[in-house]
Amino acid sequence: MSENQTQSEKPHIGYVISGGLKDGFHIRLEVDPDKVQEGAFVVTESINDEWLFYGLVVDLQLGAIDPRYADASIKNRLSKPIAEQLNSETLYTNLQVMPALMLEKGPKPGTPEYDKWRAPFIAGLKDEPRPLPVKTVPPHHSKVRMAEAGDIAEIFGDTNKKSNFVIGYTREQGHPVALDMEKFVQRSSGVFGATGTGKSFLTRLVLAGLIQYNKASVMIFDMHNEYGFDDTASDTGLKVIGLKSKFPSRVRVVGLGGGAMIRNNVPDFNLEIASSDITPEDIELLSRELNLKETTATTLDALATTFGRDKWYAAFKEMKIGSVIETEDGKKVPAPDSVAFWANKHGVNVMAAEGLHSKLRRVFGLDYIVEKPAADSLREIIKALKAGQHIVLSFARHESDLDYLLVSNLLTRRIKQVWEDMANDFRSSGDGEPRPLVIVVEEAHKLLNREMASQTSFSTIARELRKYYVTLLIIDQRPSQIYDEVMSQLGTRVSGWLGDDDDIRAVLSGLSGREALRGMLARLQPKEEVMLMGWGVPMPLPVRSRRYDDKFWEELLGKKSDKKSALDNIKELGF
Amino acid sequence: MSVIEIGRILQASTTEFIVGCRIDQLTAPGFGDLVRAPIEKDFAVYGLIYDIRIEEDGLVRQMATINPIEAAIIADNQVNRIVPIEMRVIVVGYKYKGQIKHQLPSRPALSLDSINLCSNEELIEFTTVGEFDYFRHLLRNNVLQGKDAPVGELISTHLKKAQDAHDEIGWYEKASKVIISMLRDDYISLMIILEALSNAFPNEENEHE
Repeated sequence: MSENQTQSEKPHIGYVISGGLKDGFHIRLEVDPDKVQEGAFVVTESINDEWLFYGLVVDLQLGAIDPRYADASIKNRLSKPIAEQLNSETLYTNLQVMPALMLEKGPKPGTPEYDKWRAPFIAGLKDEPRPLPVKTVPPHHSKVRMAEAGDIAEIFGDTNKKSNFVIGYTREQGHPVALDMEKFVQRSSGVFGATGTGKSFLTRLVLAGLIQYNKASVMIFDMHNEYGFDDTASDTGLKVIGLKSKFPSRVRVVGLGGGAMIRNNVPDFNLEIASSDITPEDIELLSRELNLKETTATTLDALATTFGRDKWYAAFKEMKIGSVIETEDGKKVPAPDSVAFWANKHGVNVMAAEGLHSKLRRVFGLDYIVEKPAADSLREIIKALKAGQHIVLSFARHESDLDYLLVSNLLTRRIKQVWEDMANDFRSSGDGEPRPLVIVVEEAHKLLNREMASQTSFSTIARELRKYYVTLLIIDQRPSQIYDEVMSQLGTRVSGWLGDDDDIRAVLSGLSGREALRGMLARLQPKEEVMLMGWGVPMPLPVRSRRYDDKFWEELLGKKSDKKSALDNIKELGF
Repeated sequence: MSVIEIGRILQASTTEFIVGCRIDQLTAPGFGDLVRAPIEKDFAVYGLIYDIRIEEDGLVRQMATINPIEAAIIADNQVNRIVPIEMRVIVVGYKYKGQIKHQLPSRPALSLDSINLCSNEELIEFTTVGEFDYFRHLLRNNVLQGKDAPVGELISTHLKKAQDAHDEIGWYEKASKVIISMLRDDYISLMIILEALSNAFPNEENEHE
C-alpha cells in the first residue's frame, strides 16, 4: 500500500481544469513551465481522496486569458510590479497528461475510517487494491504532483525484490524504475533503437539482469562477438565488461567453428555442426540469401528421399558437376559421381539439381560443418541450457548473414523441439517443469522479416512458444522490417531513440496511446534515455537508462547474498 | 473619528450621494477621498468622491463676459455662491455597530446630513477589512460606468492615499492583484486602470533612490 500522506504535504505542480479519458487530463500548471518536461511521471490526487491517477505528461501548451495579454509590449506601459502581476494572472501553461493507471487511495491511516476500509482486505473478502487501467476521471481542481519513489515502487515494483531489475531512473528526480523479470520472460520482448543509440549497452544491461535473476536460461546468438568476453567501446575507447567475466560459472561462451578464438580469448567449447544435422528445411531457409529457385524444394525432397534425411547433405556435397566419362562408343555421359547422373536416375531436372549444387557451394565451404564433429556440441549446448546455464554463441569470424541465418535457425529448431517435448511431458506427467528459456537474437529483421516469417522457427516461437516456456528477446534497429504479427506479440519493449516514422510505428504496434508515445520516442536523448512500453510494463515511461559500467556490476552483484551454500555453488556449475 | 465637516447631503440613493459645500470647505476634501455620512447612531455610510463640480449659477453666467471684472467681485462670487459646489460620492460600504462592511447600506443618509472627511486611521481601517471587496462597487455595479466617470483615476488616486496612510512598501500591490483578477476578462477596462495605477506608482526602485 502506498503511503497515505495528506495532499498538502507533497508539493503540487498544478490542478485539473478539463480533459477526459480520451484526450487525457488538462492540468493548469502552477510552477514555471521549465520545471516540467514531456514524459514526466505525474500523480493526480482526486480531490475527494478516492483515487490516485498515474500518468505521463504528453504535451505542454502556453496560453493566455486573452491573446492580447501575451503581447510583451504591454509591459512598456505598466510599472514592473504591475506587469509581473498581470502576467501571472493572465498567462498560463497547461499540461496534457495521458492517464495510465489508477489506484484506490483509501482514507488516512490512523483514522477510524481507515480501519473500516482495511477490514475487508484483512478478512480476505476483497483483494488488496492494486493499480488498474483508468476508467474514470478525477474531479475538477484535483491536485497534481510529480511521482515520488514510493509511487514508482507501487507501480513498477519494489527495487529490493529479487525479480525486479532496475533498468533506469526517472528523468526529473532520478527515482529507480524496475523491470519485472518474471513478466519479462513470460512473453517475447524487444530492445530497439537506431544505430549508435546505445542498443548494445542496453542489451548488456538486460542480459546481466536476466542472468542475475537466474530463473530462466539465456541463449544468445552473438553475431558480432560483443557479449561474451570483454570488449572496447567504439566511441569512448573504454573497456566494456563481458558477461563471462562477471558470471564465470554461469555463462558458457561457445565459438563457432573448430579452433575459433573469440577476441583473443578461448571459448569454453566450440560448436561444429555435423552434416547429418542439416535438414532440407534449413537449406530452404536460405533461399533468399543464396538466391535459390522454386525448384529447390523438389530437388531437396528427392535428395532426402534418396539418401535419407541425415545423409543427403554429405552425399550431395560429394557429387561433382560436369564430370563425364566416356562410354565404349566414345559418347560422353555423366559420371556416376556427378549431379547429372543422380538427377537422371531419380527423375529430377538436371539443370535444377546442378543449379542448386553450385549455389550451395557457399554452404559446402563452411568450415564449421563437418562430417564428424569433435564433440556433440549441439547436445552440450542443450544440456547446459536445461541445467540452468547460459550460452553465448559467438560467431567468431563467421559474421556473414549466411552464417547467422543457418546456424541460429538450426540451433533454434533443435532447442525448440527439446523444449516442446519437455513441456508436453510435463503437461501429461505433472513433474519436471521445463526451465524457461529466452533466445536472444540480434539483427532480428534478418530472421523475422515478412518473407522469412513463415519459414523460421523464430516467428513460431514469438507467436506460440510461451506455452512451451521459450520466448525471444529481439534486438534490432529496424523494427519496421520485422513481421508486424511478431511485433504485436512482444510483451516488453525497451526502445531508444528512433528516427524513422515507420520504425516508431512498428515499435508501438499493438499498444494504446500511440499518438502521444510517438512524439516521445522521437524526442528521446540518444544514448541517455529509453522508453519502456508494453504488456510487461505497467505503464509506458521514458527513463534515463542505467550506465553499463563498474558501478552497475557492483550494484548488481552486491545484491547476491555473500553466503552461498556449497549446494548453491554446485548447482551453479550445472550439476 | 474625523470632525472635519466638508458639506451637506443634497441628494442620496443606495449607491451614491451628492454633497454640497461652500468654497471655504473645499480646501479639505479632494477627488478620491474617503468620506463618511451618518445614517443613524452607530450606522454610517462610506463613499469615495468621484467628481467635484462647480456648476454655473445664473449670475456667473452673466458676469463672465464683463471686462474688466474687479477682483473683489470675482472673490465675492466665488465665496458667496448661491449654488453650492457639488461633490459626487459613490458608496463603498458602511459601518454598523463598530463593524465595517463593504456591502451597500440598507438605506441612504438624509438630506442636509453633514459629511466628514475620513482621517488616515479610518482610511487604514476601511481598506484593511476584507480583500478589497468594495472594488466591485467601482468596477462592477455599472454605476460609475454609466456616468463615464474616470474609474482608473479614481482607484489610483484612492490607492495612493491609502498607500501613503499605510506607509508600507508595496501595499498597493495587494489591491492591484485583486483588480487584475476581477477585470481580466475585460482587457480594455483593465488596461485603462492598470495604466493609471502604473502612473500613480512608478517603479518602486526609482522612488527610493
